[in-house]
Amino acid sequence: MTAPYPDLARSPRAHPRRGQGPLAGVRVVDFCWVGVGACATRALSDFGAEVIKIEDRARVDMTRRLPLYKGEPARAYGQEDVNPDVNRGGVFNNYNRNKLSCTINMRSPKGRALIDQLIAKSSVVTENFAPGVMERWGLVYERLCELCPDVIFGRMSGYGHSGPDADFRSYGPIIQAVSGLSFISGLPNMPPSGWGLSYMDNQAAYFNSAALMMAILNRTVTGRGCEIDVSAVEVGIKLLGPMLLEVAANGRRTRDEVFPIGNRLEYPTAAPHGVYPLAEEDRWVAIAVLEEAEWDALKTLMGRPAWAEAGHFHDMAQRRLHQDELDRLVAEWTRGLDHRTVTDRLQAAGVRGALVQTAEDLNEFDPQLAERGLFFELDHPVIGPARFEGSPMLFSDMEQVNWRSGPLLGEDTRFVLTDILGLEDDAVTALEEEGVI
Amino acid sequence: MTVSQEKSPNPSAYNGLKVVEIGSLCAAEYAGRLLAEMGAEVIKVEPVEGAASRRVGPFAAGAGDGGHGLHFWYYNGDKRSVTLDIAAPDGRAALDGLIAEADVLICSLQPVELAAAGLAYADLIARHPRLIVAAITPFGLTGPWKDYRSSDLVSLAAGGPLHMCGYDDHAIPPIRPGGNQADHTGTAFAHIGILLALLQRRKTGRGQIVDLSTHEALAVTVELGNPYWFYPRAIVLRQTCRHAQPVRTQPALFECADGYVYFTLVITEQKPWQLMVEWLLSHDLASGLDDPAYLDAGYRQAHFTEIQQVVEVLFLLNTAEQMYREGQGRGLPIGKLNAPEDVFDDPHLRARGFFVQVDHPGQGPVEYPGPAYRFSAFSAVDPKPAPELGEANVDYGLGQSA
Repeated sequence: MTAPYPDLARSPRAHPRRGQGPLAGVRVVDFCWVGVGACATRALSDFGAEVIKIEDRARVDMTRRLPLYKGEPARAYGQEDVNPDVNRGGVFNNYNRNKLSCTINMRSPKGRALIDQLIAKSSVVTENFAPGVMERWGLVYERLCELCPDVIFGRMSGYGHSGPDADFRSYGPIIQAVSGLSFISGLPNMPPSGWGLSYMDNQAAYFNSAALMMAILNRTVTGRGCEIDVSAVEVGIKLLGPMLLEVAANGRRTRDEVFPIGNRLEYPTAAPHGVYPLAEEDRWVAIAVLEEAEWDALKTLMGRPAWAEAGHFHDMAQRRLHQDELDRLVAEWTRGLDHRTVTDRLQAAGVRGALVQTAEDLNEFDPQLAERGLFFELDHPVIGPARFEGSPMLFSDMEQVNWRSGPLLGEDTRFVLTDILGLEDDAVTALEEEGVI
Repeated sequence: MTVSQEKSPNPSAYNGLKVVEIGSLCAAEYAGRLLAEMGAEVIKVEPVEGAASRRVGPFAAGAGDGGHGLHFWYYNGDKRSVTLDIAAPDGRAALDGLIAEADVLICSLQPVELAAAGLAYADLIARHPRLIVAAITPFGLTGPWKDYRSSDLVSLAAGGPLHMCGYDDHAIPPIRPGGNQADHTGTAFAHIGILLALLQRRKTGRGQIVDLSTHEALAVTVELGNPYWFYPRAIVLRQTCRHAQPVRTQPALFECADGYVYFTLVITEQKPWQLMVEWLLSHDLASGLDDPAYLDAGYRQAHFTEIQQVVEVLFLLNTAEQMYREGQGRGLPIGKLNAPEDVFDDPHLRARGFFVQVDHPGQGPVEYPGPAYRFSAFSAVDPKPAPELGEANVDYGLGQSA
């Protein structure tokens, strides 16, 4: 069913502030789905772009199916519902607030014709399909330019759209492995611990957001659109940092070493530098002593124990040499500390340190995030009120407009076809009956 | 594909953009670098003894710490360097002169340091209405933690990602994911914030302050961590090199003859299962998994441990590179855990011309990763090495080179 706004308050028509901001006037035909793409176009929809998600009723976005539901026991994300409510998924809601959803059957010639019309009335097209999908629909850059001469075509993929491995399958952890980000994380003589999240789904998304905005900025100056090719693997390699230059300039070979070295730091010299246990089980604190004055501050906070004054902890070089013993002794002290007060106690003493915070800590206990209002709430007709991740920066002359939670599947199909493409209501109903939308 | 390799003759996206950069926080330096890479004129303002980041290792082999810091190289390529004592009146006047000409001021000083330096962003914006101030700091310019001190590890801890990373064995603490990722996450959002402010300035003619908090950037870079709290109110548990989840899941790291691959063995669906069996058969290692009984998903689930053991043998007997290419060739998502030195040999990246040569005077050419995005309408600038200290003093009318 293509609901004609059961809730009129959710209609794009009811939100005059929608479409204000730096990206006002930019309409995006957004074929993105799953994590990277949706997270990338979220930055556009948050700041005024009209992002129209093109969705397929026969092939529903994976994040609509992930079983992260309010009011239900938690399951692993792989334990999918056989018959999920596509409007209940929390991950979809989080990534797709402030966007519209328009369902189009791309297997139908009429559906494809509607897309052509919509692209002609837009100025950005985005996608993160496996290579070949857009080509199968004929939606290559040259064709998009015919429909919309100054179009920006943002293509997000794991490996980029050229090169021998362009067709390789990927998702966050694969990108993290291939780019080197997993290998460089872990304890010596253990398997890599890598990442406990699809960091590269987030980071590739951010670089894609920036690339789209750069292209839009360039178009405002030159009048020219462009095609964009972003490879998540290349973003990942770019994030490896100076270690890459140790390979390129110094010929370093980490495989021949005892590497990586866990929570200790290769550069700059730091000791103690680690993650230490607190009183409560499986709660931890990170401490980084980068300067001698900070060691002195830590010693004072610890009550200047005799062991800390010993000669082999006297300076950074000595402490680094005796890190096993140092870490053991610091851990003995931290085991007496409470996780709710540890961050403030360390910081008040002049020590770089913080509790290893969980999502609960971030959302319910972190006074800094609360004061800056990072998280916000929006209602949703199926889910009810839910929290959202805001943008991590405050602007002095603009703000994010949060006009609506994530769209129901096809919630805005009728709006898009009537208000944007100028179809009559009856024609939309006919398309519905034909299975085109 | 039209974009990938050819360099566009058009000016880069940030052509004509003037940027002044103060401070040596890696997140801010990398943001300046991303602007410089795409054509902005980025002037790094350093104290006469040089930015602290010049003294951070690693260093180019044989060069000691006398100015060939690879850390500094990585985050400061394509920039210019001037030296100024911004606490002294004439230095401050020179800085004001640079800022008056700038579109963007990137600054990583925390509030207490800003006050000490006598820098007030509101005043700057009032005096220079088109100026965009990108304040890139560990916790932001406001709030009870605004002057808390941090580091990459401490930021990853406070921001949430660290909690999700480590080993199945929770006697082992969470383990920091490598490569300055707290800073890099701040950088990514700082870049977006600067772009939004530039786009807004096209509309309003006014600049503004962009107050980027690395802490907040990390707090929204936990992928499923927040949604698991928002919805089922669950806290995820860290697991060895795979997603932290509210319940334990099967391992995804497989040891090979010479390293590791990341691979999720999917037994619930028919197609990946058949691909897996065909793959095992091609190595004569199916060990009975081609028995028709295994065509039933329920049977497979009941025998998961045996299946896992058979698959482990396939990987142990072969190299990670071979398993990666064979698996991908069969349409299975699998990734080799590349070491940093491995990526330079990757034929795909070579074919795409990803690495660029940067000529370091006295050191010769060094390969850097190229830009992370490619545009058909414009390209990155020809890469230049990080600047010598004060090399641009004369060019910017600041007297002698340092």
